[in-house]
Amino acid sequence: MKIAVCVKQVPAKDAPLHIAPDGTWIRETDISFEMNEPDSYALEEALRLKEKHGGEVVAVSLGPERAKQTLKEALAKGADRGLHIADEEFYRLDPLTAARALARALEPERCDLVLTGLQSEDHGFGQTGVLLAELLGLPHATIIMSIEVQNETLRLKRELEAGWFQWLELPLPAVLTIQSGINKVRYATLKGIMAAKKKEIRTLLRTELLPSFELTQKLERIYVPQKTKKTEFLQGPPKEVAAKLLEKLKHEARVLGSS
Amino acid sequence: MKPVERERLDADVLIVGAGPAGLACALRLAQLIETNRDAAAAAGLSAENIYVLEKAREVGAHQLSGAILDPRALRELLPEFEQTAVAGVSDTPVSEDAVYFLTERRAWKFPVTPPPLRNHGHYVVSLNRLAKWLAERVEQAGINLFTQFAGAELIWNHTGIAGVLTEDKGLDKNGRPKPNYTPGYELRARVTVLAEGPRGSLTKTLVQRYGLDGVNPQVYGLGIKELWEVPAGRIRPGFVAHTMGWPLGTRLYGGGWIYGLQQNRVSLGLVVALEYPDPQFDPHAAFQKFKTHPFVRRLLEGGRLVRYGAKTLPYGGWYSMPRPYVDGGLIIGDSASLLNAQRLKGIHIGMKSGMLAAETIFEALCAGDTSAKALSVFQKKIEQSWIREELWPVRNFHQAFHGGLWSGLLHSALQMLTGGRGLRDPWRTRPGHEAYHRLDGQRSPTARFKGDGRLTFDRLTDVYHSGTRHEEDQPCHLIVADLNLCGTRCTIEYGNPCEYFCPAAVYEMTKERGERRLKINASNCVHCKTCDIMDPYEIITWVPPEGGGGPNYEGM
Repeated sequence: MKIAVCVKQVPAKDAPLHIAPDGTWIRETDISFEMNEPDSYALEEALRLKEKHGGEVVAVSLGPERAKQTLKEALAKGADRGLHIADEEFYRLDPLTAARALARALEPERCDLVLTGLQSEDHGFGQTGVLLAELLGLPHATIIMSIEVQNETLRLKRELEAGWFQWLELPLPAVLTIQSGINKVRYATLKGIMAAKKKEIRTLLRTELLPSFELTQKLERIYVPQKTKKTEFLQGPPKEVAAKLLEKLKHEARVLGSS
Repeated sequence: MKPVERERLDADVLIVGAGPAGLACALRLAQLIETNRDAAAAAGLSAENIYVLEKAREVGAHQLSGAILDPRALRELLPEFEQTAVAGVSDTPVSEDAVYFLTERRAWKFPVTPPPLRNHGHYVVSLNRLAKWLAERVEQAGINLFTQFAGAELIWNHTGIAGVLTEDKGLDKNGRPKPNYTPGYELRARVTVLAEGPRGSLTKTLVQRYGLDGVNPQVYGLGIKELWEVPAGRIRPGFVAHTMGWPLGTRLYGGGWIYGLQQNRVSLGLVVALEYPDPQFDPHAAFQKFKTHPFVRRLLEGGRLVRYGAKTLPYGGWYSMPRPYVDGGLIIGDSASLLNAQRLKGIHIGMKSGMLAAETIFEALCAGDTSAKALSVFQKKIEQSWIREELWPVRNFHQAFHGGLWSGLLHSALQMLTGGRGLRDPWRTRPGHEAYHRLDGQRSPTARFKGDGRLTFDRLTDVYHSGTRHEEDQPCHLIVADLNLCGTRCTIEYGNPCEYFCPAAVYEMTKERGERRLKINASNCVHCKTCDIMDPYEIITWVPPEGGGGPNYEGM
């Protein structure tokens, strides 16, 4: 089974973020980057499927030069090779354009299965995986909680709202977006890290895969939301506090009528 | 329980810690293998068989310093760096030096900058970036650098060490394996180099087991740093100022620094010797107070905090240097007390010690003898190098300030006139925690520093800016030998100094059913090691948490 996993490199969760002067992306100095956590579950799932059914795992990442680090991490954990779609201006791409570039890179690979995380932790569009399926002309399912492969068929468990699940079957090849927490992600091993040095990372240029594109959506501005919630502690003897509270409920929160 | 099955790997050289000393050691070894190919081949040495372990998520993430780099060692290691790579190493060359004495409202500039604090020809650097830059070269040379792996335990060998066990990964908070449990590796090496920085957890056990302490026990300082971005025009890049006096006064040893960086950035911090008498002294609050001095406030106002960090440093100098060799092992860098307290610099000495260790190891491996006797050449090399030239004349410098700033300045002037001897040589010291005065129940209910949220901050806000993160579900990496002592004896005798000395708010006394109990917020830990040093009963042991955990000192 040949499996491709899309892994995105995103700002580390601990990074104090500051918005870049043009207002459409963050300032990248002084922060570090890591593998998008939802994608790490997709990678783990791919590695487990390979261990069970044999085959190959190809890790794919669209991003600037630094994204190679995330591919190296995937290789250290057990992916067989890496595919880097280089684009220094990756953050300008909308999900459709990103999916188009990924599809162009993945078409010649003829994978049996393409896995992505549910969404990215930076832009959080949650669309790239689904759009990729459409562009590759493959069936897809989202929010996957478990995967079983029987012959040429996938038996899948999806998470629905309110504690409900859905079981469904899908033919191979297919695209799945993986729910976070589906598995317990493994640690890279020393041998894996050493072996990763000898594995291939092929670089494709986004400008060659997709020389021109028209954005279907444009990011106008990123901003920190204004704080609107306010917590206030009322202090004093219970009787006074109760009176104050009543005042506030009537005149500030206006949830009680002021009869 | 059945014994843990560990995978074993064998290396020629294993270096624990990818700081400037460890990386310089690795790089020098690769250079020696490259330039002495025949000898290396005959001894079966290769760069691939040199391993470097680093507990941080990525190289540099736990590196914290002011920092001013004296490029002496780097020039010896990579002579071309000043022509080709200054931009990769340095933020800015030092352009101007000044030393100030602060009182609460005033700043008095010393008319002449004392020679040890003159920094002409030095660079203001980010130690984080310097480590990353060195690590790139180490990896290019073919050495195996493993991040997110800590040296958890030493593998003992009759009279020395034979390698380390890396930490177990995937244990839950009760020490039970989780589904992704991965036991630590048994990494064996012909020579193991401890380059763990100040108060290394392996170094500590090695020094204790073989009684390697020098003339004096090690004494430490705690450095607390913030990186700021300030409105344009406030400070010139390369402006370097050191301060004495307020808020520490003239009794406590330490001082502040303010360095101007490129792009309107400022590195500022305060170092305090960890040998203060008041167990309720709060180094973090002292640093916050430092920022409210008109001299500092003027600089920062309207700016914003970028990063925060805290780290200890060894102050003891030459007389606190442990014997740096055992069978199959060497100690280098801050772990071996290789820092010049008078010049406030250690990066260059740490790197030089790494290079000398590499030369010792290469000779030892070629001769097929890595015994303590063969490795003792390392100490001779240190004594014949400029490390001794630099550290010997200041061997009593830090001790001289035992009686406060003014007598310290007098003593150190006298020492300068007598080649470092002064009135007492060697001037003995005691471990820092012995300096505490007992409170005997006279604990003063001090209000904790809160900060205004713009210029000054409480500890949790600062910890947030250190980028610290740990796997939450893992065994606590701060081992307190006797938790019952905290709420009883320690409360009465010392008023729980752990609540005050920790710059990351890890230790918190709580009340449970009327009993005072210690709560350890281990996830906040910035790996500074202050607790291991300053707890009055020496019952806190810092051990490395799961690899990858800890602060992220990007750009610091």
